[in-house]
Amino acid sequence: MPGRLRPRGVTILAALIDCDVHQNFNSLRDLLPWLDPAFHDYVEVGGYTGFQLPNYPWVHPSGFLMGDAVPEDGGVPGSDYETLREQLLDRFDVEYAILTGEDILNVSAMAHPQFAAALASAYNRWLCEAWLPLDPRLRGSLVVATQDAERAAQEIREVGAHPGIVQVLLPCGARSGYGDPHYGPIFDAAAEMGLPVALHVGAEGLATNPPPTATGYPAYYVEWHTLLPGAAMSHLVSLVCHGVFERLPELRLVVIEAGVAWLPAILWRLDANWKSLRTETPWVKRLPSEQVREHVRFTTQPLEQPRRKSSLQAVLEAVDGIEGMLLFATDYPHWDFDAPKIVTARLPEAWRERVLSENARSLYRLPARVPEPV
Amino acid sequence: MTDPVAVLPAAELPPGARATVEAFGTEVALFNVDGALFAVANACPHYGGPLCHGRIAGTRLPGEPYEHRYGREGRVLVCPWHGWEFDLETGRAIFDEDVSVRVFDAAVEDGSIVLRRRARAESEAR
Repeated sequence: MPGRLRPRGVTILAALIDCDVHQNFNSLRDLLPWLDPAFHDYVEVGGYTGFQLPNYPWVHPSGFLMGDAVPEDGGVPGSDYETLREQLLDRFDVEYAILTGEDILNVSAMAHPQFAAALASAYNRWLCEAWLPLDPRLRGSLVVATQDAERAAQEIREVGAHPGIVQVLLPCGARSGYGDPHYGPIFDAAAEMGLPVALHVGAEGLATNPPPTATGYPAYYVEWHTLLPGAAMSHLVSLVCHGVFERLPELRLVVIEAGVAWLPAILWRLDANWKSLRTETPWVKRLPSEQVREHVRFTTQPLEQPRRKSSLQAVLEAVDGIEGMLLFATDYPHWDFDAPKIVTARLPEAWRERVLSENARSLYRLPARVPEPV
Repeated sequence: MTDPVAVLPAAELPPGARATVEAFGTEVALFNVDGALFAVANACPHYGGPLCHGRIAGTRLPGEPYEHRYGREGRVLVCPWHGWEFDLETGRAIFDEDVSVRVFDAAVEDGSIVLRRRARAESEAR
């Protein structure tokens, strides 16, 4: 496809499906029309700010969001469709944007299981009614609270039937690895509904979750953020070792925002250990890296930035079939946004079409390009 | 050297015993497991670990998640270095039967343990 000139002089070389776009509400009060009335006073009376989700102990002086993403109404970045459309969908000619929400992901770290589940339900209905109808390019990720896995499974069966919902979203911060049988009903329901389960970084070390690293709580945001792949690795290894992919051959997993360059190292370790230690988990019958290649996809952002461009390709090529496992993502409107043009240039040419759009189109079963809104 | 090769007086390898011998230009680990004789090249195909020092055991058989079904007792040789498990009879690794260690047929003839090579396709990695 020849390059097309877009507004503001941005040239996009291929179709683009953005697999990590953070739309948001300005306050939990925005969810009240969809929240179980039994929990309205938790939001309206219970907190000074009306914002009841567990928050991060790490702040940094430059903030978490893109400096230019504040909507004209002064709301939270990602809260205004028109701003998101102009800054992301139109500017970069995004064919589809997979919406991944914001801190709503943290409901799974809350102490109160029923309030957490009610918030997740309200969010999902708000997503389906207040966002997805706005633009045919939008697709949604339903959020569940993992404290009550059976209730989460029920939510997946209900909301997962919406045609605009393409996956189930869980936070990487969790009380145990997602292979733990506690989470079984969530993965069963997702597989049954034909929805991938996406693990998005976040909620590590929050509220009821364990510390975000094996050495406890880092002091600085830069440490916490650098070490985020750790939790993703834990879940990946957990899911393989508990035999979840063997049990659910249709299940697909998406790891969002954990980077990708660590993947060869953890797969080498897991394959080598499995060969030596397999009698402990005799139900793991296939080489772990083969299971990961078949079942798991990884979003590119934040794509690692080695000094030599060729180093990234060399590292990634160590994983057989990696060009079929990567999904492009910007992470709009966060500070570590990956600009499409820069990422495109850093990917080997032969991978671009698959990574920028076709892997996601196949995973999420997205129809061919929809007409642009007039 | 032609098959068969006598490598050890049978009396020197009673049940439960093991030995290393030279045959066919390589070192071979011999095992007498309750009267059944097994002969395996004495180098693990992984890092060359001395299989003559390996534990002879069973293993948990491939199965459904959380199923711990133990079997093949006395027929699994575990490399003393990194724990790769091999089927003593076929030489194939439990984790992947495309990986294997070379095995030989062992028998007692005229009071000696004799070894015979197997067709390569039966005993070596495909």
